Amino acid sequence: MVGHSLRVIASTAKVNLVMTWRFFSWTGFALRFFTPIMTLGAAWILYNRVYAGNLAPEFGIAIGSSGYLSFITIGNAFYVFVFAAAFVVGRVMFWERTTGTIEATFMTPMSRLAYMSGIMVAAATNSLVDFTAVFLLGLAFGFRIALFNAPLFLCSLLLTAFGLFGIGLITNAVTLTFRDRTTTANSLMILFMVFCGLVCPVEFMPSWAQLISKALPLTYGIRLMRASLLGIGTVDPTYDILALLILGVIYVALGAVTLAQIEKNLRKKALFSVF
Amino acid sequence: MFTRVVIAEALKSLKVYFFSGRTLVWALVLPLGNGLYLYFLYLPFATKSVNLQFNATTYTIDLVGFTIIGQLLYSFFTMMLLAGASFEAERWQGTLEALLLSPANRIAILLGEALANAVNYTWMLIALVLSWVAFIRVSILVTDLFALFTSLALSYLAMVALGMCLETVGIYSRRGSIFTAWLQEPVMFLSGQIFPLQSMPGFLLPFSYLLPLTFGLMAVRLTLLGGASMHEVAVPLVALAIMTIVFLILARVLVNYAERRAKAKATLTQF
Repeated sequence: MVGHSLRVIASTAKVNLVMTWRFFSWTGFALRFFTPIMTLGAAWILYNRVYAGNLAPEFGIAIGSSGYLSFITIGNAFYVFVFAAAFVVGRVMFWERTTGTIEATFMTPMSRLAYMSGIMVAAATNSLVDFTAVFLLGLAFGFRIALFNAPLFLCSLLLTAFGLFGIGLITNAVTLTFRDRTTTANSLMILFMVFCGLVCPVEFMPSWAQLISKALPLTYGIRLMRASLLGIGTVDPTYDILALLILGVIYVALGAVTLAQIEKNLRKKALFSVF
Repeated sequence: MFTRVVIAEALKSLKVYFFSGRTLVWALVLPLGNGLYLYFLYLPFATKSVNLQFNATTYTIDLVGFTIIGQLLYSFFTMMLLAGASFEAERWQGTLEALLLSPANRIAILLGEALANAVNYTWMLIALVLSWVAFIRVSILVTDLFALFTSLALSYLAMVALGMCLETVGIYSRRGSIFTAWLQEPVMFLSGQIFPLQSMPGFLLPFSYLLPLTFGLMAVRLTLLGGASMHEVAVPLVALAIMTIVFLILARVLVNYAERRAKAKATLTQF
């Protein structure tokens, strides 16, 4: 069973990687960088031309001696990683339905979780390209690594991908039910973009926004990543790793159960390929 | 005939989209989310206000008001871009050829779509502004109500006219929606939505002045938050009026050209 699932993961990941690079879309690739470039540019202008480097003292306390622009660059690299991974995983069932392969996919005896894991592996691998590209762009805007903690960095990436996988499963369940392509994915991206602390420390947000951010695994992922690259001493990695892990498990379990239930329901009502 | 086409198209669009996920996302989720995102971008800084310089006068504007007005007008602009996607929607439904065979005026079709999008968005816009004023205590300073109304009306007209020009891409090419998506962030950046225009690097300013949103933001922010009078915002208002006329003429020429080309090449319904 485990061997079979691993084969499903490997073959699904391979198919998806081949498809991405064989039919590579430059416009789609470039489009993913528009938000990060705009945010980096805007942050640079705000920091240098509008406020002349006059940051709130609390900002220094929250993130240590690291610079504002490094803080923003990491947030944006993280956003690109999430965007690339979440959009691919979250839309799997929509595209299966559109391309007419959804019934065949669900007729196979493979584990659905293994199939989705394979897609997640491919999406995470591809999104690493975008992720690296934003860091390179960030160098032009003033990004500097203060202190690199490789194990913590890897841990933040892997656990974030795990949390994203859970969110992707839930998104697919919603997509299958409501036959929606963009509304769910766009709303989720906005949720991540606003409340995960991409452009300001979560502690700076109003209390109601902090409550929302606590329920999102990506909040902890981004904090760990910043700690691993900027050496922020105020962050307790154990707490963030545990929170990220627990939330990841909850989201994956919820996603797996919801997806299985919806599959059962769609099968019963013969609604798989109905638009 | 022209008015009937406008009304019919507007009613059709309202019925299709008013209670749809598209309206919910584009008119509520995205503006709210983007507005908060931009507001949060300012939080690490010590000062919680923005200085807007115009005509040698500096207006100190509340940060929440600055980002909210910026986001609301920008969202209105994207709704107008969506109006520009009406021909693409007709193509998806398989009705584009039939529509362009009809004697309906193309500009009337676009105006109807723009009107519907404006209605879809306006009620939400009013609700958002009122809730922000009530709950977040955005400090509004209006000294010339007529100047504010003129700023809003001219911003709307100029953006509709530009949206109609961009519609040409929807007829001519099958990449209209990608083109619309490409435009969003550059427009956001260049228009001065995120930061005051005086901080924009000089080499980018000429591009900023090509956008009606730039002048719309200037006029609405100054009249709604800075207490500017008609006389003080005369320059952006004249620019908006000129843009409206130029873009309307250009839209007429471009739509006719795109339609002729697409018909000659028989590419109207090709995907």
